[in-house]
Amino acid sequence: MRRGVDWRQGSLMWALLALLGIFILYPVGRVLWVALSDDQGRLTLLHFGNFFRRPLFREALWNSLLSGVLVVLFGSLIAVPLAYIGARYEFRGKIALQTLSTLPLVIPPFVGAVALQMILGRSGMVNLLLMRWFDASIPFMEGMTGVVLVQTLHFFPFIMLNTAVSLANIEASLEEAAENMGCHGWRLFRRVTLPLMLPGYIAGSLIAFIRVIDDLGTPLMLNFKNLLAAQAYLRITTIGIDDVDGYVICVVLVVLSLASLFGARKYLAVAEYATVQRGAPVSRRLSGKKRAWVLLFIGLALGVSLLPHIGIVILSFAKIWSFSILPTVYTLDNYVEILFRVPHFVKNTLLYTLIAAGLDVLLGAAIAFLLVRSRLRGRNLLDAIATLPLAIPGVVLAVGFIRVFHGWDFPGIGRPLTSSWIILVIAYTVRRLPYTVRASYAALQQVHVSLEEAAQSLGANRFKTYWKVTVPLIAGGLVAGGLIAFVTSCVELASTIMLVPRIELGPISYGIYIYMQSPLGRSAGAALGVVAIVLVGVGTYLTHRVFAGRAGTAFRV
Amino acid sequence: MRRSLFTLLTLLVLATVAVAKEVVIVTSFPKELFEGYKKAFEAKNPGITVVINSKQTNAGVTYLRETRSKPEADIFWVSAPDAFQTLKTDGLLEKYSPPKEIMAKIPAKIGTFPIHDADGTYFGFAVSGYGLMWNRNYLQAHKLPAPKEWTDLANSKYFNHLVISAPSRSGTTHLTVEVILQAYGWEKGWALLLNSGGNMGAITERSFGVPEAVVTGQYGIGVVIDFFGLSAIASGQPVDFVYPSLTSVVPASVGIVKGGPNPDNAKAFVNYLLSEAGQMVLFSPDIARLPVLPDLYAKAPKNYPNPFTTKLGGVDFNDALSSARRDVVISLFDHVITFRHAELKAAWESIYKAEEAVGKAKGRDLAQAQSLIAEARKAASQPPIDEKKASDKDVTGAFKSKSGLKAQLEIEWENFARANYAKAKELANKALALAR
Amino acid sequence: MKPAQVKLENIGKRYGEQWVVRGVTLQIERGEFYTFLGPSGCGKTTLLRTIAGFVAPDEGVVYLDGEPVTDVPPWKRDVGMVFQNYALWPHLTVFENVAFGLRERRAAREEIAEKVKLALEQVDLKTTADRRPSQLSGGQQQRVALARTLVIQPRVLLLDEPLSNLDAKLRAEMRLELLKLQRDLGITTIYVTHDQEEALALSTRIAVMDRGSIVQEGAPREIYEQPRGPFVAAFVGKSNLFEGSVTRVDGRAAEIETLEGIRMTAALGPLLPSSPARGARVALNIRPEAIAVVRPDDATPFSNRLPGKVLASAYQGSLVEYEIECSGRSIKANVINPKGKPLFHRGDEVAMVFAPEDVLIIKTESPIA
Repeated sequence: MRRGVDWRQGSLMWALLALLGIFILYPVGRVLWVALSDDQGRLTLLHFGNFFRRPLFREALWNSLLSGVLVVLFGSLIAVPLAYIGARYEFRGKIALQTLSTLPLVIPPFVGAVALQMILGRSGMVNLLLMRWFDASIPFMEGMTGVVLVQTLHFFPFIMLNTAVSLANIEASLEEAAENMGCHGWRLFRRVTLPLMLPGYIAGSLIAFIRVIDDLGTPLMLNFKNLLAAQAYLRITTIGIDDVDGYVICVVLVVLSLASLFGARKYLAVAEYATVQRGAPVSRRLSGKKRAWVLLFIGLALGVSLLPHIGIVILSFAKIWSFSILPTVYTLDNYVEILFRVPHFVKNTLLYTLIAAGLDVLLGAAIAFLLVRSRLRGRNLLDAIATLPLAIPGVVLAVGFIRVFHGWDFPGIGRPLTSSWIILVIAYTVRRLPYTVRASYAALQQVHVSLEEAAQSLGANRFKTYWKVTVPLIAGGLVAGGLIAFVTSCVELASTIMLVPRIELGPISYGIYIYMQSPLGRSAGAALGVVAIVLVGVGTYLTHRVFAGRAGTAFRV
Repeated sequence: MRRSLFTLLTLLVLATVAVAKEVVIVTSFPKELFEGYKKAFEAKNPGITVVINSKQTNAGVTYLRETRSKPEADIFWVSAPDAFQTLKTDGLLEKYSPPKEIMAKIPAKIGTFPIHDADGTYFGFAVSGYGLMWNRNYLQAHKLPAPKEWTDLANSKYFNHLVISAPSRSGTTHLTVEVILQAYGWEKGWALLLNSGGNMGAITERSFGVPEAVVTGQYGIGVVIDFFGLSAIASGQPVDFVYPSLTSVVPASVGIVKGGPNPDNAKAFVNYLLSEAGQMVLFSPDIARLPVLPDLYAKAPKNYPNPFTTKLGGVDFNDALSSARRDVVISLFDHVITFRHAELKAAWESIYKAEEAVGKAKGRDLAQAQSLIAEARKAASQPPIDEKKASDKDVTGAFKSKSGLKAQLEIEWENFARANYAKAKELANKALALAR
Repeated sequence: MKPAQVKLENIGKRYGEQWVVRGVTLQIERGEFYTFLGPSGCGKTTLLRTIAGFVAPDEGVVYLDGEPVTDVPPWKRDVGMVFQNYALWPHLTVFENVAFGLRERRAAREEIAEKVKLALEQVDLKTTADRRPSQLSGGQQQRVALARTLVIQPRVLLLDEPLSNLDAKLRAEMRLELLKLQRDLGITTIYVTHDQEEALALSTRIAVMDRGSIVQEGAPREIYEQPRGPFVAAFVGKSNLFEGSVTRVDGRAAEIETLEGIRMTAALGPLLPSSPARGARVALNIRPEAIAVVRPDDATPFSNRLPGKVLASAYQGSLVEYEIECSGRSIKANVINPKGKPLFHRGDEVAMVFAPEDVLIIKTESPIA
């Protein structure tokens, strides 16, 4: 009996390890190897030496780190107060706050960049008004300022959602005990609340940081090129796949992400939640002056973070919007134009992301099962590999896939994997796997093993137990993880742009990119962006419904 | 439920496997162009589906190289002739002779530039000139005159109002840069490029970023290929376009990929593209390209430029030279202009300020300040290597190997640029102090 | 700080339409050990949190030493509270947890070190100062929580079911320790529990609560021996409740017939609020331990004797618990110290005997005129 358990778990684990090895480790390893070998295929560190010798790359490295830190910093200024308000106060419109504050995740950052350009750019709405009134302008969108601005507005929800989950998990009595000891207000926050919400906050900041240094669309759209991801992309696509510098940068990116993951690892283990899980935290009613301030802050924060959305909607109805505060000629043509294409972009998007999300749920549940329920020796390795995609930039994964899967017919498809849409599904699955693993892990931990044992003692076999008892109990976590995978895959561009085999097979994010590539298609691209917002917005809303406002647990690393 | 999902998946997989009659095209053209041709060609050739793989020119070249073991594309279809030159050298293009009755109507040359490849590996299907487009509202608001010539780009009054895309990212910009280098010579050409580089408000990553920035009024004047300007005008945007007097009209070409999966369909597509019906498509307002059939211009929309009658050009474009030093030129441009844009801009801003101060300070002896400014201008206008070295085998070869020489060269260029721009700024600031 | 007197005046608290506490008025003297006893949901914790300041009452006033504190925030009340789950901060060590309140009071570093050491000694936890709460056992965590509260020498100590998370044996030990500690320190202590044994063992006075109100307040003995009404009787200790009517009053004794038709004699003690008249409806309680179980033919001095049949018997060493059927209902009887006495089994015919003094009249309704 006992041996049977180990045998089955063992083979499941080996199967998973093999799968992850083929689709994660091997492609990334190939990229690594290019950076570490010379013309004759010998191991060399020459290219890394050159990397650090080149002022351009040192500058790009510094800029990437700086933009990551700045985004986390400014993002925290928005995210932490919003999370605190949402977790600790009761007021009308709280649900709106929770839904709206995840909306920034809904649009691909590069679309947000274009839209924000129309509002805050050089000749955007705000600056045109400033010039008219004061004959002055503010360079919001110039250089790195623009990049950091767009990324802050896009990525702060990661910090917010994670912090909110942490805050919600702090038991009320821990804060009450401090108040009882004479501690309150800011001191209470600093001495008790802050340290206790740190795991969530750090996890969120880390995701934001990694996503920022991995973000390709925003710097490219804003023409700021001295960043690592942009340099890697420019190098690989310009000089060709043999340009070693591009690979070196890829490796540096991976190392950076891994280092930050490793540095914060003690905050990332879900098991480390030290709070006593009992008694829901108390929400306080807001009233009077405080209420006014809080609402003002929420209004301001959300108003600013929804600027790109506003820009996109206006742009989608614009025919001519040239050096004017608002479009001078409006049209519905953009929607007419895309409506004929939408079915195909939407179909592709739904097909790819739903399959990817489904696979992620299956893989995530299986991996989480082994992590939580088995004592196999390889499970730490499994955990590490399944978490790795968080640290792998989309560009690197895509390049790795092209390297590995191009040029030979994949069994069962009859052509190389890279010329089929399946490659996109695999890329999305790999990229989002960590989310579902974490979501299932958290859910599974809540299910005491005795519940399964009870079912088995009543005669259910292992499969039936899992299917009838465990799966229903963790279904919420699984579905939420899947939805997160779905939502974030919908706006995935970095790997999409490199892997789409042909335009008909492109998902909506690629469609937007293509539209944005033609001088007259900007508005149509924006219309497609509106469709994406609606599509992903519905997904996010469902996530909230399933998770009852605690969607953040799935965004955790 | 589960079974039907499985069936659906199987069907979808099969649908992508069962290759219908297709012609797979790698192109850098904007959506309007390839969509227009897709529709027209499919209507003429029922049963053949046009499959578009949209890639930016250089990425397209990379893609064909990477997939040479088992090509997936039939047609390569972009503007830049030197991309075809590169592919031809690599042996990636198929030789083809289109039917005589089609070829007879197309002249051999546009200006001095041969429209088709002499060896029949690629064919010009449209010609393009390079020029400047601007936003009327923008220029009016900033009280700026409309530009006419490449040299206008170096004018101090356009400081921070210009936009161009990086030649590394855009095949057409690379051609523009080559046109300038060949028109004015290496040294003078780079001086012009560096000076106008200092005037650029932005250097975009995509060629489409330029018309976009001009159309939205983010910047006033952009360096573009003609059809960006023409199509924007056709769609009612408040923009204008001009060909500078020294320019080159260059064909945009199409070539058949060697060993592609659908050779017959590929030939049919090329034939269609060069036929009268295919050429007419170029006149649609959202495409706005110049056909290679001179007779067709009789049917052109009003005010349509005719490159075969109006005098366009003045530059004998050397395709082989351009192609040979392509990697060097685009990397050079990136390392002295694109990636050093902030420093370059700062240097020119200081120079302009010093010049303005000198101009205002009448009656004083400012010979020293003037000579400082001249020195600063020189420092901010110098390319790190000369023309000979740019075509040197070792240098061009460095871009195709992992030896580390490329990194070394790029470090040299970058440091050269940094040092020069810092020096220019310092000199200009000194001059400014003297003039005050 | 000196222990304080606590006074509640007509306290009421509702959530929505539901009153969870209503009309509570009481006064707790300095140094008392006062317990709110009641089932879950009776409002006892709400009342305690009202005193701590975490709950703002909708009605009434809380006084500490005669001063109204209803609007004073928790951090200014100087009232120490030990939470049911201890609420130890997981990010701080044991030392830092205990030192927390002193730091809030801006105590000097040496003073903090000194006092924390003393407090930890007091609860027998000297060696754990550098550990994190998660590394401690439940009993140790409980004592850290206690030390953390006591170290600031609050005016009033509030304990919210502090022993409920411990196992039975540890609970009994801690109960005694708590008792000694409180009596040593002389601190005014308010204790919340649903465990009547704990309440009886620790308190100087007990308030039994039901559905938001106090139903009886008094010393432990009074609560146990003279429960006012069936709720208190049933909740505090074990009980056999009967309803019936008085058939005869004879000086200091009354003869009663229950609804089941069982006849018994009850002594009319001096503690009884009013002597029932003939025909009055009464509620009775007989504690199981007051009933002796004998063979049907055994002679006993007690005047009350009921025949019955054993339904269940549970031997527990120090006592035997019986459930015995009599006139169609079951009666509980506990035979204490059963050594040497006969042991009965299911189905055995027995007699239950008890003194009239053990038949407590807990409620009287006058006969309808």
